[in-house]
Amino acid sequence: MSKSKPPLPLTPAVFHILLALFGKERHGYDIMQQVKADSADAVKMGPGTLYGSLDRMIEAGLVAKGNTQDPRRIYYRLTALGQTTLRAETERLSRAALVARRQLGSA
Amino acid sequence: MTRPARQKESRSLGLYARLLELYPPAFLQRHRAEMLQNFADLEDAAASKAALWLLIGKDLTMSLISHFFASRLGTYVIGVLVAWILLFAIGYLRYGSTPGHPALHAFGGFLLGMLSMYIATRLYGTPQNSSYVIGVLVASISIFTIGYLRYGSTPGHPALQVFGGFLLGMLSIYIKILLISSQST
Repeated sequence: MSKSKPPLPLTPAVFHILLALFGKERHGYDIMQQVKADSADAVKMGPGTLYGSLDRMIEAGLVAKGNTQDPRRIYYRLTALGQTTLRAETERLSRAALVARRQLGSA
Repeated sequence: MTRPARQKESRSLGLYARLLELYPPAFLQRHRAEMLQNFADLEDAAASKAALWLLIGKDLTMSLISHFFASRLGTYVIGVLVAWILLFAIGYLRYGSTPGHPALHAFGGFLLGMLSMYIATRLYGTPQNSSYVIGVLVASISIFTIGYLRYGSTPGHPALQVFGGFLLGMLSIYIKILLISSQST
Protein backbone atom coordinates (compact mmCIF):
# COMPACT_ATOMS: atom_id res chain seq x y z
CA MET A 1 0.00 0.00 0.00
CA SER A 2 1.17 3.55 -0.66
CA LYS A 3 2.27 5.57 2.36
CA SER A 4 1.02 8.88 0.97
CA LYS A 5 -2.43 8.12 -0.44
CA PRO A 6 -5.34 6.77 1.66
CA PRO A 7 -5.90 3.12 0.68
CA LEU A 8 -9.68 3.13 0.16
CA PRO A 9 -12.08 1.42 0.56
CA LEU A 10 -11.14 -0.01 3.94
CA THR A 11 -12.21 -3.36 5.34
CA PRO A 12 -14.64 -3.13 8.29
CA ALA A 13 -11.90 -4.32 10.66
CA VAL A 14 -9.43 -1.64 9.55
CA PHE A 15 -12.09 1.09 9.61
CA HIS A 16 -13.13 0.19 13.15
CA ILE A 17 -9.53 -0.01 14.40
CA LEU A 18 -8.82 3.45 12.97
CA LEU A 19 -11.99 4.75 14.58
CA ALA A 20 -11.07 3.22 17.95
CA LEU A 21 -7.65 4.89 17.83
CA PHE A 22 -8.95 8.32 16.86
CA GLY A 23 -7.90 10.80 19.53
CA LYS A 24 -6.52 8.21 21.91
CA GLU A 25 -3.67 5.72 22.16
CA ARG A 26 -4.95 2.28 23.05
CA HIS A 27 -3.54 -1.19 23.70
CA GLY A 28 -4.85 -4.34 22.02
CA TYR A 29 -7.57 -5.34 24.46
CA ASP A 30 -8.77 -1.76 24.71
CA ILE A 31 -9.01 -1.58 20.90
CA MET A 32 -11.05 -4.82 20.79
CA GLN A 33 -13.47 -3.51 23.41
CA GLN A 34 -13.81 -0.14 21.69
CA VAL A 35 -14.45 -1.78 18.30
CA LYS A 36 -17.11 -3.96 19.88
CA ALA A 37 -18.78 -0.93 21.47
CA ASP A 38 -18.54 1.29 18.35
CA SER A 39 -20.06 -1.39 16.15
CA ALA A 40 -22.80 -2.28 18.64
CA ASP A 41 -21.40 -5.84 18.91
CA ALA A 42 -21.47 -6.30 15.12
CA VAL A 43 -17.66 -6.53 14.82
CA LYS A 44 -16.12 -8.88 17.39
CA MET A 45 -12.41 -9.08 16.90
CA GLY A 46 -10.04 -11.62 18.45
CA PRO A 47 -6.31 -11.17 19.05
CA GLY A 48 -5.22 -12.94 15.83
CA THR A 49 -7.35 -10.73 13.59
CA LEU A 50 -6.44 -7.60 15.52
CA TYR A 51 -2.66 -8.01 15.38
CA GLY A 52 -2.72 -9.22 11.78
CA SER A 53 -4.60 -6.03 10.85
CA LEU A 54 -2.36 -3.83 13.01
CA ASP A 55 0.77 -5.24 11.32
CA ARG A 56 -0.65 -4.40 7.88
CA MET A 57 -1.76 -0.95 9.07
CA ILE A 58 1.68 -0.18 10.52
CA GLU A 59 3.25 -1.26 7.23
CA ALA A 60 0.83 1.02 5.34
CA GLY A 61 1.70 3.92 7.64
CA LEU A 62 -1.82 4.26 9.11
CA VAL A 63 -0.89 3.33 12.67
CA ALA A 64 2.28 3.55 14.75
CA LYS A 65 3.36 2.06 18.05
CA GLY A 66 3.14 4.37 21.05
CA ASN A 67 4.14 3.33 24.54
CA THR A 68 6.02 0.01 24.34
CA GLN A 69 7.37 -0.21 27.90
CA ASP A 70 5.28 -3.25 28.82
CA PRO A 71 5.45 -5.91 26.06
CA ARG A 72 2.04 -7.20 27.18
CA ARG A 73 0.43 -3.79 26.81
CA ILE A 74 1.83 -2.11 23.72
CA TYR A 75 -0.06 1.05 22.81
CA TYR A 76 -0.96 2.03 19.26
CA ARG A 77 -1.82 5.45 17.84
CA LEU A 78 -3.07 6.92 14.58
CA THR A 79 -0.59 8.59 12.24
CA ALA A 80 -1.45 11.66 10.18
CA LEU A 81 -2.13 9.38 7.21
CA GLY A 82 -4.33 7.23 9.44
CA GLN A 83 -6.42 10.28 10.38
CA THR A 84 -6.69 11.40 6.74
CA THR A 85 -7.70 7.89 5.71
CA LEU A 86 -10.33 7.65 8.44
CA ARG A 87 -11.86 10.97 7.39
CA ALA A 88 -11.79 10.01 3.71
CA GLU A 89 -13.42 6.63 4.37
CA THR A 90 -16.08 8.24 6.56
CA GLU A 91 -16.86 10.66 3.72
CA ARG A 92 -17.01 7.81 1.23
CA LEU A 93 -19.38 5.81 3.45
CA SER A 94 -21.55 8.91 4.04
CA ARG A 95 -21.88 9.50 0.30
CA ALA A 96 -22.73 5.86 -0.28
CA ALA A 97 -25.32 5.94 2.52
CA LEU A 98 -26.82 9.13 1.06
CA VAL A 99 -27.19 7.53 -2.37
CA ALA A 100 -28.67 4.40 -0.80
CA ARG A 101 -31.17 6.41 1.26
CA ARG A 102 -32.20 8.40 -1.80
CA GLN A 103 -32.72 5.27 -3.88
CA LEU A 104 -34.56 3.43 -1.12
CA GLY A 105 -36.71 6.49 -0.44
CA SER A 106 -37.74 6.76 -4.08
CA ALA A 107 -38.51 3.04 -4.40
CA MET B 1 -11.06 0.23 31.04
CA THR B 2 -7.31 -0.30 31.29
CA ARG B 3 -6.43 -2.76 33.99
CA PRO B 4 -2.93 -3.61 35.14
CA ALA B 5 -1.26 -6.19 32.92
CA ARG B 6 -1.42 -9.65 34.38
CA GLN B 7 -1.81 -13.18 33.14
CA LYS B 8 -4.21 -15.41 34.97
CA GLU B 9 -2.88 -18.93 34.85
CA SER B 10 -5.54 -21.32 33.64
CA ARG B 11 -5.85 -24.41 31.50
CA SER B 12 -7.53 -22.31 28.82
CA LEU B 13 -4.58 -19.92 28.77
CA GLY B 14 -2.17 -22.87 28.56
CA LEU B 15 -4.12 -24.30 25.63
CA TYR B 16 -4.24 -20.93 23.90
CA ALA B 17 -0.47 -20.53 24.38
CA ARG B 18 -0.02 -23.91 22.68
CA LEU B 19 -2.32 -22.96 19.80
CA LEU B 20 -0.43 -19.72 19.27
CA GLU B 21 2.50 -21.85 18.09
CA LEU B 22 0.55 -22.36 14.85
CA TYR B 23 1.26 -18.73 13.89
CA PRO B 24 4.42 -17.84 11.97
CA PRO B 25 7.42 -17.32 14.31
CA ALA B 26 8.02 -13.69 13.23
CA PHE B 27 4.40 -12.78 14.05
CA LEU B 28 4.65 -14.50 17.43
CA GLN B 29 7.89 -12.72 18.23
CA ARG B 30 6.08 -9.40 17.80
CA HIS B 31 2.76 -10.21 19.46
CA ARG B 32 2.89 -13.33 21.68
CA ALA B 33 2.97 -11.44 25.00
CA GLU B 34 0.17 -9.10 23.92
CA MET B 35 -2.00 -11.95 22.64
CA LEU B 36 -1.63 -13.94 25.85
CA GLN B 37 -2.50 -10.87 27.88
CA ASN B 38 -5.52 -10.19 25.67
CA PHE B 39 -6.67 -13.77 26.10
CA ALA B 40 -6.39 -13.47 29.88
CA ASP B 41 -8.45 -10.24 29.73
CA LEU B 42 -11.05 -11.85 27.46
CA GLU B 43 -11.24 -14.83 29.79
CA ASP B 44 -11.83 -12.55 32.77
CA ALA B 45 -14.62 -10.73 30.96
CA ALA B 46 -16.23 -13.73 29.19
CA ALA B 47 -19.77 -14.70 30.15
CA SER B 48 -18.86 -18.38 29.70
CA LYS B 49 -16.03 -20.59 28.49
CA ALA B 50 -18.15 -21.53 25.48
CA ALA B 51 -18.54 -17.89 24.43
CA LEU B 52 -14.81 -17.31 24.90
CA TRP B 53 -13.77 -20.31 22.82
CA LEU B 54 -16.33 -19.54 20.14
CA LEU B 55 -14.72 -16.13 19.64
CA ILE B 56 -11.17 -17.51 19.89
CA GLY B 57 -11.92 -20.48 17.61
CA LYS B 58 -13.32 -18.23 14.90
CA ASP B 59 -10.45 -15.77 15.32
CA LEU B 60 -7.78 -18.49 15.17
CA THR B 61 -9.33 -20.11 12.11
CA MET B 62 -9.70 -16.89 10.14
CA SER B 63 -6.34 -15.39 11.06
CA LEU B 64 -4.38 -18.64 10.60
CA ILE B 65 -5.88 -19.14 7.14
CA SER B 66 -5.02 -15.54 6.29
CA HIS B 67 -1.41 -15.98 7.52
CA PHE B 68 -1.04 -19.31 5.77
CA PHE B 69 -2.19 -18.11 2.36
CA ALA B 70 -0.08 -14.95 2.64
CA SER B 71 3.06 -17.04 3.25
CA ARG B 72 5.36 -18.59 0.63
CA LEU B 73 4.42 -22.02 1.95
CA GLY B 74 0.75 -21.19 1.43
CA THR B 75 1.42 -20.19 -2.16
CA TYR B 76 3.26 -23.47 -2.66
CA VAL B 77 0.37 -25.49 -1.20
CA ILE B 78 -2.10 -23.70 -3.47
CA GLY B 79 0.18 -24.49 -6.43
CA VAL B 80 0.30 -28.17 -5.46
CA LEU B 81 -3.48 -28.34 -5.04
CA VAL B 82 -4.07 -26.68 -8.41
CA ALA B 83 -1.67 -29.16 -10.04
CA TRP B 84 -3.53 -32.08 -8.42
CA ILE B 85 -6.90 -30.71 -9.50
CA LEU B 86 -5.63 -30.30 -13.08
CA LEU B 87 -4.34 -33.88 -13.07
CA PHE B 88 -7.69 -35.14 -11.83
CA ALA B 89 -9.56 -33.02 -14.36
CA ILE B 90 -7.45 -34.44 -17.19
CA GLY B 91 -7.94 -37.96 -15.80
CA TYR B 92 -11.70 -37.41 -15.55
CA LEU B 93 -11.93 -36.10 -19.12
CA ARG B 94 -9.84 -38.99 -20.44
CA TYR B 95 -11.17 -41.91 -18.37
CA GLY B 96 -14.43 -40.66 -16.87
CA SER B 97 -15.47 -41.06 -13.25
CA THR B 98 -13.19 -43.44 -11.34
CA PRO B 99 -14.44 -43.82 -7.75
CA GLY B 100 -12.02 -45.73 -5.56
CA HIS B 101 -9.21 -45.11 -8.03
CA PRO B 102 -5.70 -45.50 -6.52
CA ALA B 103 -4.87 -41.90 -7.45
CA LEU B 104 -7.73 -40.70 -5.22
CA HIS B 105 -6.39 -42.70 -2.29
CA ALA B 106 -2.90 -41.32 -2.90
CA PHE B 107 -4.31 -37.79 -3.16
CA GLY B 108 -6.17 -38.14 0.15
CA GLY B 109 -2.98 -39.39 1.78
CA PHE B 110 -0.97 -36.60 0.19
CA LEU B 111 -3.25 -33.90 1.60
CA LEU B 112 -3.15 -35.46 5.07
CA GLY B 113 0.64 -35.73 4.86
CA MET B 114 1.02 -32.08 3.90
CA LEU B 115 -1.35 -30.96 6.66
CA SER B 116 0.28 -33.08 9.37
CA MET B 117 3.79 -31.96 8.41
CA TYR B 118 2.71 -28.32 8.39
CA ILE B 119 1.09 -28.57 11.84
CA ALA B 120 4.09 -30.50 13.18
CA THR B 121 6.56 -27.86 12.02
CA ARG B 122 4.44 -25.13 13.58
CA LEU B 123 4.11 -26.99 16.89
CA TYR B 124 7.56 -28.57 17.16
CA GLY B 125 9.79 -26.19 15.21
CA THR B 126 11.57 -26.39 11.90
CA PRO B 127 12.08 -29.77 10.27
CA GLN B 128 15.83 -29.70 10.84
CA ASN B 129 14.74 -31.61 13.91
CA SER B 130 13.16 -34.52 12.07
CA SER B 131 11.99 -36.51 15.11
CA TYR B 132 8.37 -36.05 13.95
CA VAL B 133 9.14 -37.55 10.53
CA ILE B 134 10.93 -40.50 12.13
CA GLY B 135 8.03 -40.93 14.59
CA VAL B 136 5.47 -41.07 11.77
CA LEU B 137 7.59 -43.54 9.81
CA VAL B 138 8.03 -45.83 12.81
CA ALA B 139 4.28 -45.65 13.60
CA SER B 140 3.35 -46.37 9.96
CA ILE B 141 5.78 -49.27 9.63
CA SER B 142 4.44 -50.72 12.89
CA ILE B 143 0.86 -50.50 11.61
CA PHE B 144 1.81 -52.15 8.32
CA THR B 145 3.76 -54.89 10.10
CA ILE B 146 0.75 -55.66 12.29
CA GLY B 147 -1.46 -55.63 9.15
CA TYR B 148 0.95 -57.97 7.34
CA LEU B 149 1.11 -60.40 10.25
CA ARG B 150 -2.67 -60.43 10.56
CA TYR B 151 -3.78 -60.38 6.89
CA GLY B 152 -0.69 -61.38 4.93
CA SER B 153 0.55 -59.62 1.81
CA THR B 154 -1.90 -57.05 0.39
CA PRO B 155 -0.37 -55.54 -2.76
CA GLY B 156 -2.42 -52.68 -4.18
CA HIS B 157 -4.34 -52.27 -0.95
CA PRO B 158 -5.93 -48.78 -0.60
CA ALA B 159 -4.17 -48.28 2.72
CA LEU B 160 -0.82 -48.61 0.93
CA GLN B 161 -1.87 -45.98 -1.60
CA VAL B 162 -2.95 -43.61 1.18
CA PHE B 163 0.29 -44.29 3.03
CA GLY B 164 2.38 -43.59 -0.08
CA GLY B 165 0.51 -40.35 -0.68
CA PHE B 166 0.89 -39.40 2.98
CA LEU B 167 4.66 -39.82 2.89
CA LEU B 168 4.92 -37.86 -0.35
CA GLY B 169 2.79 -35.06 1.11
CA MET B 170 5.01 -34.88 4.19
CA LEU B 171 8.13 -34.96 2.07
CA SER B 172 6.81 -32.23 -0.19
CA ILE B 173 6.22 -29.81 2.71
CA TYR B 174 9.48 -30.86 4.39
CA ILE B 175 11.53 -30.01 1.29
CA LYS B 176 9.67 -26.75 0.73
CA ILE B 177 10.23 -25.60 4.34
CA LEU B 178 13.93 -26.48 4.07
CA LEU B 179 14.18 -24.49 0.84
CA ILE B 180 12.40 -21.49 2.38
CA SER B 181 14.65 -21.59 5.47
CA SER B 182 17.83 -21.86 3.36
CA GLN B 183 16.69 -18.91 1.17
CA SER B 184 15.93 -16.71 4.17
CA THR B 185 19.29 -17.35 5.91
